[in-house]
Amino acid sequence: MTEPAAVLPAIFVPSGGRDPVRLSDPSVGLLLRDLDLFALQTAAESGRPLLAVDLDSVEGLGADAAAVSFVVERLGIGIVMTRRPALAKRAADLGAFGLAHVFAFDSTGLGRSLDAHPGGPGVGTVISPGPVLTHISPQDRARIPRPLVAYGLIGTPERAVALLRLADAVVVRAEHAASVAAMLRRG
Amino acid sequence: MASREPAAREFMARLAASPCCAAITSGQAIDAALASRVAIVFILRADGLSLGPLVERIHRAEKLVAVHLDLVDGLRADRAAVRWLARARVDAVISSHGQLMRAVQREGMVAIHRLLLVRHSLLESGCAAVSRSGADIVEVLPGAILPDVHSLLPHLNVPLLAGGFIRTKDEARAVLAAGAAGVTTSSRDLWNMDLD
Repeated sequence: MTEPAAVLPAIFVPSGGRDPVRLSDPSVGLLLRDLDLFALQTAAESGRPLLAVDLDSVEGLGADAAAVSFVVERLGIGIVMTRRPALAKRAADLGAFGLAHVFAFDSTGLGRSLDAHPGGPGVGTVISPGPVLTHISPQDRARIPRPLVAYGLIGTPERAVALLRLADAVVVRAEHAASVAAMLRRG
Repeated sequence: MASREPAAREFMARLAASPCCAAITSGQAIDAALASRVAIVFILRADGLSLGPLVERIHRAEKLVAVHLDLVDGLRADRAAVRWLARARVDAVISSHGQLMRAVQREGMVAIHRLLLVRHSLLESGCAAVSRSGADIVEVLPGAILPDVHSLLPHLNVPLLAGGFIRTKDEARAVLAAGAAGVTTSSRDLWNMDLD
């Protein structure tokens, strides 16, 4: 496993095949989700940098090593989110960021998810819903393999910026991305 | 406790009097829960096939019992398992399977539908499923973020419980202020606290 060649942006905006998002800020990443295999291929071939994919939400795509290879090696997507830890590791082995998706609904479930997390270079974490990060104890937060992306139910730009004190990246709605980027630039 | 009825009304009355509920994930916690002020004990981890003695013990302590059908060992989330829990004299059943809510009610128990808060695009379908299920109560997880997201939730027309990552009195109070009728927590410190 090597350090990933991809860059992890601080801000992601989700995009499905039916509602293409146009972003003027090249530093904002695009998270491809809730789309089918053909739309995924089209989006990947657009040439836009900083693409990520939520592997579990792509219709027609399997949940196995071949699917990860296709996404990383054929489509050139450098950031792969998946709820299957072994596939996150597989993505990292191929030189991408593999982000294991952890759903944090209670502390018991979080503990079990972290126990199953492979960790290691290039294998980070996506945590959902994003605002739960502020309710996770510092000890448990310290156990979460980085980089860490907060994803889901981040309702305002202010909340996103607050979460970026605990996480390396956030997934925000398209209409909030510019505000979050401006607030980050202002420090 | 000799009777399971009047299920939903009694459950809500108990919750109003004592909005903090004990969430039990291990056998060791049960003694503390029974000795505490909580009126309702939520069993999240246990052998679902041998719940009878545990339920009886909780009832002897004048508390109600809610069992998480999806999490206890030995049971599948289906109608036969619902009947099994009714036979064990459970008062309420929690499940993410909305199609079981009517079956739970038919057996005289309180139906609690679990709603997992994940992301905006899944909220609509989750809330629609809750509306369709006809549950008596909805439990939202992780409950600690309810103050952050309650404005995003449509009015569900059923009482809300909040569970997950609620560890302090301030967090519990914030969740109740955001509209929850009660909280479920495994933090024993909260089981004896006055949240008023």
